[in-house]
Amino acid sequence: MGKYENPMSRQVYSLPQLIRDQYEDLEPKTRTVLSFQEIFNIQRIILTGCGDSYAAGMATKHAFEMLTGIPVEVVPAIELSRFYCEKHLGVDCQNPLVIAVSNSGGVARVSEAVQRARLHGCLVLGVTGNLESPLARHSHKVLKLDIPAFESAPGTRSYMVCVMALLLLAIRFGEVRGKYTMDYAMDMRYDVKNQGDLLEKLLPEMDAVCEKTAEEWKEFPCYDFVGSGFDYATAWFGQAKILEATGKFAMHINAEEWFHLNFFARQADEIGTVVVGNTTSPGFSRTKELVHYARELGRPMVVITDGGAEDFGEETTYIRVPSPKYPVCMPLTHFAPVCLLAGYISVLIGEKYGRGCEGPWAFAEGGAGVKNSEIIVR
Amino acid sequence: MLANYKLMTKYNDVIDITEQVKEAVAKSGVQEGTCVVYNPHSTAGVTAFSPWDPDGFIDLKEEICRLVPTRIDFKHQHDTPQDAAGHIKSALVGVSLSLIVHEGKLLLGGSHHIYFLEFDGPRKREFFVKVQAD
Repeated sequence: MGKYENPMSRQVYSLPQLIRDQYEDLEPKTRTVLSFQEIFNIQRIILTGCGDSYAAGMATKHAFEMLTGIPVEVVPAIELSRFYCEKHLGVDCQNPLVIAVSNSGGVARVSEAVQRARLHGCLVLGVTGNLESPLARHSHKVLKLDIPAFESAPGTRSYMVCVMALLLLAIRFGEVRGKYTMDYAMDMRYDVKNQGDLLEKLLPEMDAVCEKTAEEWKEFPCYDFVGSGFDYATAWFGQAKILEATGKFAMHINAEEWFHLNFFARQADEIGTVVVGNTTSPGFSRTKELVHYARELGRPMVVITDGGAEDFGEETTYIRVPSPKYPVCMPLTHFAPVCLLAGYISVLIGEKYGRGCEGPWAFAEGGAGVKNSEIIVR
Repeated sequence: MLANYKLMTKYNDVIDITEQVKEAVAKSGVQEGTCVVYNPHSTAGVTAFSPWDPDGFIDLKEEICRLVPTRIDFKHQHDTPQDAAGHIKSALVGVSLSLIVHEGKLLLGGSHHIYFLEFDGPRKREFFVKVQAD
């Protein structure tokens, strides 16, 4: 780690071992949390959560669909708890399966969403680290997370573990439903675990680029994060980390919508633009076009990719991230650079994470802003 | 003498391994003795069956599946329903076959070939042939 080392960067450096350890913890748990009968009964899946947990759902939606063939929606907790059509809940014997993610399990809106889903007849699987939490208490089944304690920082380790938990569930569902053989499922699981080693090799180079970029971008008033498919989840997560770590404005948008909206922004040379573009993505051609025009606009830019200049055909800054055997594993590690970048900018501008919950932000101390909220279940 | 053979199976495959077993017997040099064919997998079996009517293999596969359908209410849930059913099929069919070696050759009836039965797949498999003199 370099001269701007901070709790976020230390979390990032802990990820390789965490990936290896959490695989051992989650692999057996994801085998047994739902029975064959429950897995075969699934006709639709809703992934729900707030904040990073919502992003974890976006990061794995495509994996669920590709591996299981089951239609999957990622629904923000408030949409599920207050707006989602009641007629579409509890249909065809406990469908859809609602997988609700919250490591603390204490987020009010997630608790409310699972209570409503359960009231209307859905099967609810809670993914949480706290068995006493409202999420666990209101779920039919619980996938218990056990994330070792670490110094506090905007969610980095917890995000990876949530992504891994969902990814292993997706692999399991596909395996049980006979979409592929047990050997193929195990090969995918080994690839999940192997991401720790791949990330470890790339971290020094990744860190150096993020450190230099943070130095060049620290005074920028805003940042723009772009990606599509599951790369959008990484982009979304990136803007969240900038907000949490630096308090600056940040945007997130998919590669197509960027051409409809974000490129209009003035002062292009002061918008730090982070493009997430894996080379296997069906949206890759559009991402390439985006990189080209962002350069023409004079946007300061980094591209997070498993490829490089040879794939994009543009001279810009590339941050190399692991290239797994199975692309669905990419979200496990591709977010690491955005955490390094946000953490370093935070150090460089002397900003406290979450504004230190001081002054007007004091109401959010201990997560009170998301835990203390009126629960309405209808 | 112990011989080992590798297989790449397909889903619910039936593979004729008669020639490999005969080869092992020939290489052993044993004139009078016994030959054991052993499958070390828990979701596969070994049996002797008539090779003459190809539809017979369909009957074999279908009857085994009728006896032990791939259901989702098995108690063994660690792997998959196919795997759980495969364990039962393997136990019922058996994982080894004892045969006689006479005058340096495998003593097989005219309507008997030796088959490796895959109850899962596609998978990398193997089997062993042990030939012992009297």
